[in-house]
Parts: sequence; structure tokens; C-alpha cells
Amino acid sequence: MADYNPTILKAQHANDDEILAKTPLDAKTLGGDSSVIIMELLQRFKVRDVMKRQVIVVPRSATLREAQAVLRDNRISGIPVSENGRLYGIVSVNDIIKGLDGGWMDDPCEEHMATNLVVLEAGMPLAFALRYFNNYTYGRFPVLDSNRQLVGIISQRDVMRALLYELSVEIRKLERKTRKGAAASEEELHENYFRREWAVVRNDLSRAGHAANDIKGLLRERKIDRTVVRRVAVAAYELEINICIHSHGGVLVLLISDDSVTITAKDRGPGIPDIEWACRDGTSTANDWIRSLGFGAGMGLSNSKRVADEFEIESEVGKFTKVKCVFKLNRSEP
Amino acid sequence: MTIADVVRILDGKLMAGDGTSPRAVGEVVANDLMSDVLLCDADDILLLTSLASDQAIRTAHIVGAMGVVVHNAKPLSETMLKVAADLGIPLVSSPLSKYDACVKLHDAFLAEERA
Repeated sequence: MADYNPTILKAQHANDDEILAKTPLDAKTLGGDSSVIIMELLQRFKVRDVMKRQVIVVPRSATLREAQAVLRDNRISGIPVSENGRLYGIVSVNDIIKGLDGGWMDDPCEEHMATNLVVLEAGMPLAFALRYFNNYTYGRFPVLDSNRQLVGIISQRDVMRALLYELSVEIRKLERKTRKGAAASEEELHENYFRREWAVVRNDLSRAGHAANDIKGLLRERKIDRTVVRRVAVAAYELEINICIHSHGGVLVLLISDDSVTITAKDRGPGIPDIEWACRDGTSTANDWIRSLGFGAGMGLSNSKRVADEFEIESEVGKFTKVKCVFKLNRSEP
Repeated sequence: MTIADVVRILDGKLMAGDGTSPRAVGEVVANDLMSDVLLCDADDILLLTSLASDQAIRTAHIVGAMGVVVHNAKPLSETMLKVAADLGIPLVSSPLSKYDACVKLHDAFLAEERA
């Protein structure tokens, strides 16, 4: 099998500062007169904050017909050809149409995929992605990490969704400020300004901990006190593991506001019959498999409660469990 | 005691991460229960464990550990090595048992104090 080495048109190992230096966030970059808020958002957000992390891929040996089925079943218009994290190419609807027309639908993808790829790096600012969407006609870009591994995919829809959410938060802030008048103090304007959500899959311990590791990185980027970062990371990790090993799957949500960090874990059941018992040290319903992986000692909920400033738990048997941990931030200037 | 010292003291082999890191061991935590490890408040922890899984590395990252040692020469999976490399956690494999590794590290700390 030929070893493809796709020409990657844009993927230097540049750090964010270098990229920012090359991509000044002025109005011209954004294609017109842009508000300070939008420019700030595009600078603050990185591609990794917005991209989809669960990338559907096909191997090089998959036929175009198989790729077509994957595109159809997942309602997507392009699919990366990748093995063990290495990106070889992309098969798009266009390639499928050509295959149908030319009668080579049973050929492997590697013979007809696009190999001249334009990719983004996870650490690039969102402004960079926006510029790429303007400059190229592609609907999506694969995202690589600094080790050249495929870690995500980003579409215009992902960018739009993230920006709309953040803009609505910023506009709410402005509305509140206007209502309260110019005299409103900063303390009264606490508002969520960063939210991110991770899907946690049942029993997928190979990915469990990913979200907590990401959360730690995001908090450190924001220069939050390291003792708080550690406490948040511990709770996030315990709750992520809990969703993974005890539930049918769920989400972990990070919310950073002016004065607090909140981790919320919500799953789709089976629920906890006796919450008080479950929150006690050493009580667990874990099986041997979970214990063999270093968890299931019955410390998850009590550890989360111990590190958080505020802890809330609610559960309905057969429906859901929701755990919320709040961590206060003391951001007053010395 | 740096990670290079740990490799030498425990007859170990560096399997992933930077073996030349100048970070010194603050405290040794020998434990196979990750929830117990998460409870530790110490800085620059060296995690000594028989848990040869990604979760040992992820736990070490959460608590800001300076390195992980897997004892009894347990086989380490490719994904564990990759997670260690990605998160920048030095990962050492040692043929010693947990008890012997603890004793050797303790002796080395005492020798360091006397020096």
C-alpha cells in the first residue's frame, strides 16, 4: 500500500503568538468594521475551543462506496481518511459524485481522495479559522495538534454556533449594564463568559479524563490561581470518571464567570436511589473491572464535594443524576 | 532528586517524557487508587503505582505530578506512552516491587538530607 504523504499547505509548528503576529486582529482581517467585542472573542477563542473532537474517519483501504455510506449515515459532506491519528486525505461528496459518474465506487479511498490539504492547528486563534473559511471554498478543515495528529474537525457551523453563544452572553452583559445605568459597578455585572461542554461516553475509559485534562489547560491559560485549578480539575476528573463508569453516558460542562468556576456533570441515568449513601466515603457500586482500572473506591462524589466551595446533587432513579460543583474565584487586585 | 535520579535509583527505564527535567520530587505517593492520589495536596508528587493505564497518567496530570513510576515492570500500553508524551509527564518503568521501590527512594532521600 502506498504511503501517502499529503502536501499540507498550512500547518507550521507556530505558537499562538507567532500566529497572532501574522494575523493582526484588526477590522481589515475580519472584513470590515468590527466591534471590539467580536475582535476580542476571535482572539480569545482558539480552534480547539470550537472544533468537534469526535471525528468520523475512514481508513485508506475503505472503498468510495463505504465512504459514501458513512457520509450519508452521518449527514456530512466530507470525511477525513485517517489511520492511528495520522491524516492522509479527505473524501468529499464531490469525489463520490465523480466516482459514481466514472464507475470507480469500489476503488479504495486512497486512490481518489484529496491529498492537497489545508489544515488548522488546535492552538490557532479563531480569527485564523475565519480567515481560512473566507480564503478557501472548503466547508470544513481538519485540525491537527502540535504532533501532527488529527484531533478534530471544524466547520463554519461550529464557528457560528460558538460565536452566537458568546455574543448573546456579551449582549446580555451590555443590556444589563444599560438597564443599571452608567453607575453600575463592575461587581454587579457578573456574567458567564466562557462555557464548554464535553460528551462523556459510557465505559469508554480510554477517553475518560480527557475533559478534565482539557479543563485544567483552559483554566491555566486564563491564569486562574493554581490551587483553584487543581481543585476544579480533581472534581472534573472524578465526575467525568463517574459518568463514564456508572452512567449511561452524559456531559461535563465548564462555566467560567467573573467570580466563579462551575463544573456540572449530567448523565442520562440510571440515577442514584440513596444520594446520602452515595456521597459517603468508601461507598461504591463499582465492579472488579472498574476497580482494576484504579477507580471505584467510592471516593468520587465525596472527593468532589471536599474540593468544591458549593456542591449540589440531584438524581431521579431511571432518569438522571446532576452534580454541580462551584469554585469561588478571588480575583481582587492586590 | 530529579526524574533522572529516580530512573537510576529504581533501576528503571524512561519510557516517555523528558528525562532531563530539573523538577525535583516533592513527595512520593505510592498508591493504586486514583481517588486517593487526587486527594493529595502536595506539590511535585512522584506517583509510584502498579496501575499501568492511561488513568494513572491523567491523574498525575491533574495533581501536577512531576513523574510517574510503574513498578514490577508491568507492560505499558502504546496509548499510555502516548498520553504521557502528550501531557508531558515523564513515565518510568521499574522492575522493583512497590515495597522495594519505596525503601530505595526513602534511603535516597535520607542520603540527600545527610549530604
